[in-house]
Amino acid sequence: MSGEPDPSSSHGEVDSSDGRPSRRAGDETESTQRSRAAELRDSCSRIVRVARWEISRTTGTVDRKTVFVLLAVAIAVGIVGFAAADDGIGLEDEIYVVGVDEENPYHDVATASDQFRTVPLEAVRIDDGGASGNVDVVIEDRRIGYVGENGVAAYDAFRDAVEAYNEALMAGEDDETAAYPVLVEIEYQDRSFDGDLEPPVESEADESDGSGVEDSEDSAEGEAPEETDGEDSASDEDTVDLEGDEDEPTDGDEPPLESDEDTDAGGDANVTVTGSPGDLEPPFPFQSLILAFLFVVPMNFVIQAYGSTIMDERIKRRGELLLVSPASSREIVAGKTLPYLAGLVGIVVAITLAIGGGFLSVAATVPIALLFLAATFAGAMFARSFKELTFVTVTISVVLTTYVFIPAIFTDVTPIALISPLTLVVMDLQGESVTLGAYLVSTIPVYLTAAVVFLLGLGTYREEDMFAQKPVPTKVIDAIAVRVHGKRSVPVLSIVFVPFVFVAQLLAIALLFAAPPLLTFTIIFFFAAAVEEVAKSVHVYAGFSRARFEPTLAAAIVLGTLSGAAFFLAEKGTQIVQLVGLHEFESAIAAFGPETMAGEVADGPVVFAGLLLAPLILHVVTAIISAVGATRGRTSYVVALGLATAVHALYNIGVILLVT
Amino acid sequence: MAILEVEGVRKEYDGFTAVEGSSFAIERGEVFGVVGPNGAGKTTTLKMLAGLVEPTAGTAVVAGYTPGERAMQRTLGFLPEESPLYEEMTAVDYLEFFADLYDVPDAVAAERIESSLDRLELEHRERRIGNMSKGMKRKVAIARALINDPEVLIFDEPASGLDPLTTNHVIEFTEELSEEGKTVVFSAHNLFHVESVCDRVVIMNDGRIVARGSLDEIRDEHGGTEYHVYATVDGSDGLEDGHDGRVETDVDETGSVRHVVADMDAVDAIRETVEARDGRVTDIQTETPSLEDIFLEVAGGTEPDAERRRDDGDGTGRSESEPDGGDDETDSSESERVVDA
Repeated sequence: MSGEPDPSSSHGEVDSSDGRPSRRAGDETESTQRSRAAELRDSCSRIVRVARWEISRTTGTVDRKTVFVLLAVAIAVGIVGFAAADDGIGLEDEIYVVGVDEENPYHDVATASDQFRTVPLEAVRIDDGGASGNVDVVIEDRRIGYVGENGVAAYDAFRDAVEAYNEALMAGEDDETAAYPVLVEIEYQDRSFDGDLEPPVESEADESDGSGVEDSEDSAEGEAPEETDGEDSASDEDTVDLEGDEDEPTDGDEPPLESDEDTDAGGDANVTVTGSPGDLEPPFPFQSLILAFLFVVPMNFVIQAYGSTIMDERIKRRGELLLVSPASSREIVAGKTLPYLAGLVGIVVAITLAIGGGFLSVAATVPIALLFLAATFAGAMFARSFKELTFVTVTISVVLTTYVFIPAIFTDVTPIALISPLTLVVMDLQGESVTLGAYLVSTIPVYLTAAVVFLLGLGTYREEDMFAQKPVPTKVIDAIAVRVHGKRSVPVLSIVFVPFVFVAQLLAIALLFAAPPLLTFTIIFFFAAAVEEVAKSVHVYAGFSRARFEPTLAAAIVLGTLSGAAFFLAEKGTQIVQLVGLHEFESAIAAFGPETMAGEVADGPVVFAGLLLAPLILHVVTAIISAVGATRGRTSYVVALGLATAVHALYNIGVILLVT
Repeated sequence: MAILEVEGVRKEYDGFTAVEGSSFAIERGEVFGVVGPNGAGKTTTLKMLAGLVEPTAGTAVVAGYTPGERAMQRTLGFLPEESPLYEEMTAVDYLEFFADLYDVPDAVAAERIESSLDRLELEHRERRIGNMSKGMKRKVAIARALINDPEVLIFDEPASGLDPLTTNHVIEFTEELSEEGKTVVFSAHNLFHVESVCDRVVIMNDGRIVARGSLDEIRDEHGGTEYHVYATVDGSDGLEDGHDGRVETDVDETGSVRHVVADMDAVDAIRETVEARDGRVTDIQTETPSLEDIFLEVAGGTEPDAERRRDDGDGTGRSESEPDGGDDETDSSESERVVDA
């Protein structure tokens, strides 16, 4: 053996005179003397070791087929990304040859486009009476002709190039009113919840310039509108101006038509910018949306590998040996997760750089990656087989992709879009600024939910649960029961579950955004109530069913009170939605409760206090109902939960009807 | 001095009691056997000692630490019954990873890995574990359990499923570890192995310890050595008078009487009685019950001298004395002819 000190060795320890190892007392003293920083450093060191091992182990298992699939995905993502970001990746560079002299005005058109290569007319050779030649398009003076098989396509492409060239010239014109002499106003109208069109709102732009702005009919005159910059998601109308003010041409040094100063998602704004008909885009940021989706695609693949490695430890019992090592289950899980998280962050950064995003894109996507990994980890811990894991990961992919993508479609249309961090990416790609409140609303629930899901999965990362074959719901209850140590843990868990509730309710709002109002309200009222009641009672049920508590009526009342009160306090945190104006949305009130609108409807301090504190009584009462049911087994719990949900939903409906 | 103490440990799973109030202590340097039929609670007990399973009640102390403590894990080497390895890694990579996890310095780890694999006679160390035989994999698993140079080793079925040659090697290796001062908690279905390496054992059944002590103590407690006195004498009536024993008269075709007693004084008394009747003692044999006999008695409800063919514990129904793919083991019960008159 070498003389190197070996901290792992158990030899050389001196026993105390009383026959017991003296080491324990010594270690305890040493342990108390160690700084937390040193312990953290050791813990990080173990995490890195597990991570390094996971990388080396995993890279050893990647077969050629997997490499091929990953490569194909990377190429596909790259092509889509670059194509969307750069209007092409150069596949069509110089595919057509144009015969034109340098003196000809069309020569500049041909050289401005990547599609064309020019040759002087004297070098043009045409054979077979025009059927073939060394060029596709020939331009002599102002006459344009085409030659050969590619001639027609080349001619069309050149015509497009001419239009683009002219557009670019106009866009670069200092005097935009000269470049775009006709103003067209486009007015978008929201549909009310009754299905009627709301009356148009007078635009500030009209008021401000007071000029003879043409109405939309003018667009039929051959001029075209340009899309707004979409700053205002809640705007009822967006004014698009091709010309500016006909009567009062703007100074060339200033934009003829300013975009509205209000960039807040919830504010009213009119945006008028100049442009051409070809620039008209749909009223949502299509291109940015597609680019933002690129961030989500690799996550769906990475979680497959991540889920497999977690499942491997369970199915083959390989994790048992890690559990008897000095590394804690937290360190093992962190170490196994780190490479996949780092990989996802690397991919996100690469995509961001490729499509021209900024730091916000990365900061907004990391919580999504964490949520994907957390859900997959918990799923892999609960699944009984790889077959079941496949179902779980597909479910995770569908639900989370829906959660992040659907709301992002409504970027700049409604504040609901901000429930998804992907909306921030879309905004970032559009060069829009994002408020801190919007960032918090979008990401904090996702971060917290990911943390809670990781904790739940971690609860079952122990020998007794890892290798046991139990149904998924049973494992979920086991995972929760692990965190139930006594009465104090009940309110703590009620608070911990709030992010879940928040995310679930936001998801419901987003998914039912376009549904008929009556159906939307009905579903959201009951769904939101059910989610909250589950969050308040599932750990109480876990505690009773796993013999953590005596199943008595007194215990149920105490635990229900603790749970309901804690949930009430934590739920106040969901009022963060007011930061972005989400509380002005009817279905948000249905989801988050009448207290969301307390400030607006209360006509006195008593009513205000009543609206805020009445939910405390509600939460306590319904939590007690569920807890009492939980003392008598699963069926009773489910029945009691249904009753509590009904009480909760009816309370919300009643209060809203009362105050509105 | 006990290095491992268990006091009233109980483990329940969803209303099922896997281990019920086990208590025992293990001395430093001792090889301690835990035996019992399937489902007796052996593995659960060992996992509680390893810190893998939290006891529902009771306490355990291993090398001064509570199982599960990080410091305790450093003093422990655990070899589970099923020891699935990372088959995509080589043996050396695998052992280096665990050495890293146990904070073993690189140089020490390299030397320790080399030494362990040499002693275990493992060849093809750079081969991927997935391409190794079962015996080779088991040796890698044992080397992993030793990577942190532990004070206490818990071996759960270390020779399970191995060929006789590898089995003997593993058993001998366990003995060597004991001689080096390591404490080994040893569980095996093959009681011959337990009997050959263990200083003391506990026999578990239905989650409870039903017998404990050194092998001699257990034998004494459960029948001990029997003396079979064969005599040619007219009539067996009265031979048992004055001592505790039994008489069997149909031992052989010559009509000789077999008299079974528990001590040599009784043998002498019978000899005198036989000679007084003009008979002759033709043979005296000792029958020492094996651990298996006792095990079957306490766990299976059979008598020590009953049928020797029995289930070997893994459901094969094979007799312990039967060859197992070239197994050179013999029946573990001792039968010695002390007098051949």
